[in-house]
Amino acid sequence: MLEPLFESESKEKALLYLYTHGESYSREIARAFGLYGNTVQYQLLKLESGGVLYSKLKGRVRLFGFNPRYPFKKELEALLKKALSFIPEEELDRLYRPRLRPRRTGKPLP
Amino acid sequence: MIRKGLPLTDLAALICDVYKKNGIDVVLSGGACVSIYTKNKYESFDLDFVLLSHIGRKKIGLVLETLGFRKDGRHYRHPNTPYIVEFLFPPLSVGEEPVREIHEIRRGKTTLRLLSPTDCVKDRLAAFYDWNDNPSLAQAIMVCKHTAVDLREVRRWSLNEGMKDKHELFREALSKEALK
Repeated sequence: MLEPLFESESKEKALLYLYTHGESYSREIARAFGLYGNTVQYQLLKLESGGVLYSKLKGRVRLFGFNPRYPFKKELEALLKKALSFIPEEELDRLYRPRLRPRRTGKPLP
Repeated sequence: MIRKGLPLTDLAALICDVYKKNGIDVVLSGGACVSIYTKNKYESFDLDFVLLSHIGRKKIGLVLETLGFRKDGRHYRHPNTPYIVEFLFPPLSVGEEPVREIHEIRRGKTTLRLLSPTDCVKDRLAAFYDWNDNPSLAQAIMVCKHTAVDLREVRRWSLNEGMKDKHELFREALSKEALK
């Protein structure tokens, strides 16, 4: 959808994923979309280098999220929000509507 | 060219100048500006330059190598200085707003271009506003104590960023500091 603008499917998916999930890491994003981890990592680092994303280490995982200091953050988020409205409901549920509430340790997933 | 013990302002001015001579405009931002405005009361070893237009990483590196810097990941280091140089992509902004006025400091034949004291305070406050980073708040206050800052402009910008409550915290902290 936004590929002509972003010139990369993985970049578009990574941005949409981060927009809906807040923070994530390359392997999680790659797994969700069936992409190569290195491809996603490359795009995330490029976006970080451009100031669009921030990253921080949590344990041994590097988490990425939207940089609140990126001057076009609001506009980018508006674009991503609109792009999401074109995605079928089933795909939204599967990929872009994360469960945010906690789940007790040991409780099986439905 | 870069001798041991070269002060931060001179080094930053030298770097700024060599880029200018190569047709590349860079502006110093971040903690190094705090160091300069507080006369090293706060010490930063990071020289973060913002590019005013898009330049390839390769060209950036080539210019710095003429001063004896070597690439180390995303940064550049020099054997005679503890300062680490990094280049950030444009735009030059504080929060959501572009930086319009660039401050200049003359050092001999070179000129350092950097954030103005007011934009430096905004830059530090942006980190406090966005990340709840208290050291950044302390740095903003330090700059206000050491140099003239347009606090009315800081307030206007803070409100525009939607940070009325946090700006109040800044003003309270600044008032307490003034009483010391």
